[in-house]
Amino acid sequence: MPSWFSKVFKSEPAKPKPVIQAPVRDIRSGGIDLADDKPPPGRHTPRKVVYAPVLKDAGGQSGRSPEVRIKARVEKGNRACAFLLDRPVLEGYSAWFPYAEAATESPLAQALFAIPSVDTVLIHGYTLTVARKPTVFGDWDQLAKEIGSAIRAHLLEEKPVITHAYLDAIPPEETIRQTLQRVIDTEINPGIAAHSGAIRLDRVEGNTVYIEMMGGCQGCAASDLTLRQGVHEAFRSALPGLGAILDVTDHAAGTNPFYNQLPAGMR
Amino acid sequence: MPKLNTFQISVRTGVRGVDMLPQWVINGFPVDFEDVRGSTKSGDTFEATGSPGSFPHTLLLRGPDEGNWDIEETRITYYPNGEEPYTVRLGAVTLDAESDMNLWYERPQAVLDV
Repeated sequence: MPSWFSKVFKSEPAKPKPVIQAPVRDIRSGGIDLADDKPPPGRHTPRKVVYAPVLKDAGGQSGRSPEVRIKARVEKGNRACAFLLDRPVLEGYSAWFPYAEAATESPLAQALFAIPSVDTVLIHGYTLTVARKPTVFGDWDQLAKEIGSAIRAHLLEEKPVITHAYLDAIPPEETIRQTLQRVIDTEINPGIAAHSGAIRLDRVEGNTVYIEMMGGCQGCAASDLTLRQGVHEAFRSALPGLGAILDVTDHAAGTNPFYNQLPAGMR
Repeated sequence: MPKLNTFQISVRTGVRGVDMLPQWVINGFPVDFEDVRGSTKSGDTFEATGSPGSFPHTLLLRGPDEGNWDIEETRITYYPNGEEPYTVRLGAVTLDAESDMNLWYERPQAVLDV
C-alpha cells in the first residue's frame, strides 16, 4: 500500500449515521448527480486542469519542401499507426473507410487498401490513421514505410484524395447533429447511465464529430473502450458517411469516474 | 496505464514566483512531495520526488492558494513498475488558486520518418 494512501484515508471514530436524503437526479444527464460535486473529506477540491505544452527535442527540418515529409507514430495498442504529413490531405471534411470495398470514392484509400495488411483508413486534416489487420503482428517499421511510400507517390502524382461524389453524399451538418443526438439520447446514454456516465455532442464540423465524455466516463480507464466499441459503432451504424469521431474530454479533470464513486451513505 | 512507483520533478520558476511548498494530487488526493530541494521563488528551481505506488488515473501539480506561479519549464522523470524510466519536458504555464497542472503523460510513442 503506498504511503500516501494511509495519510489520506485516516480512520475516524464512529459517528451516528445521519439520515440520508436521496439526491435528486437529472435523467437528462444520464442519471449523474450534477449538483452534488463536493469532494469527500480529504479529497482535493476540483480546479481547472491546465496542460503545459509538451516540449520536443529540436531536430528535423521545418517548412514545406517539394518532398512530401511523413512521420509515422504507432498508436497505443499497436493496432493502428498515424501518418502525419507536412501538408493537409483533406481539408474541411474527414473520411472513414472500414474496408476496401467502402473506398470506391477515394483513390488514396484504394491505393492503401492495395497493401494486403491494411484494414481500415481514416483521413483527417494532416493525418491518415491506418489500422492493420488483427492477424498482423510485430513492429510497424516495414509496413509503415510501405504505406508512407504509397501516400507520397499518390500525392506527388497529384491524384485526388476523394471524389466529388463522396463529398456530395455527406449529409448537412444539421442532419448529422440531429441524427447523432437521437442516437445519444436513445441508445448510448441509457446504456452507460449505469456507470454514471454520459456522452455529449460537442460540435459537428463538416462530417467530423467532436464529443465529450461526462460523469463516470470522464477520467475512467475504460473510456477509450466505451468510445471505440460503443460510441463509434452506434454513430457509424446510424450515419455511414460519418468521418472522424474525436473525443474532446479533459480526462485529467475527471473527479467522479464510476470506480471512484462512493455510495451516497459513505460520503 | 502502468503502475507508477515514483516520479521526480524539476520545476523552473519564471518571473512571478510563490513562497510555498507545492503538493501533487493523485486521483483527487493531495500529497506532500519528498526529497524537496530548491524553491518556487522567482528564478529558482524546485526539485522533489513523488511516490504514488499506484495507478495515476489523474496526477496533478497543485496551483498556489494565493498569487500566480509562472512556471517556465517542468521536467518529469517517471519510474513505472517493471518498465524503463522515461522523461517528459513541459513548457511555460501559469498556475493560480483556481488551476492545477496535469503531470501525467504516458511514455511518448516513437515517431519514425517513412
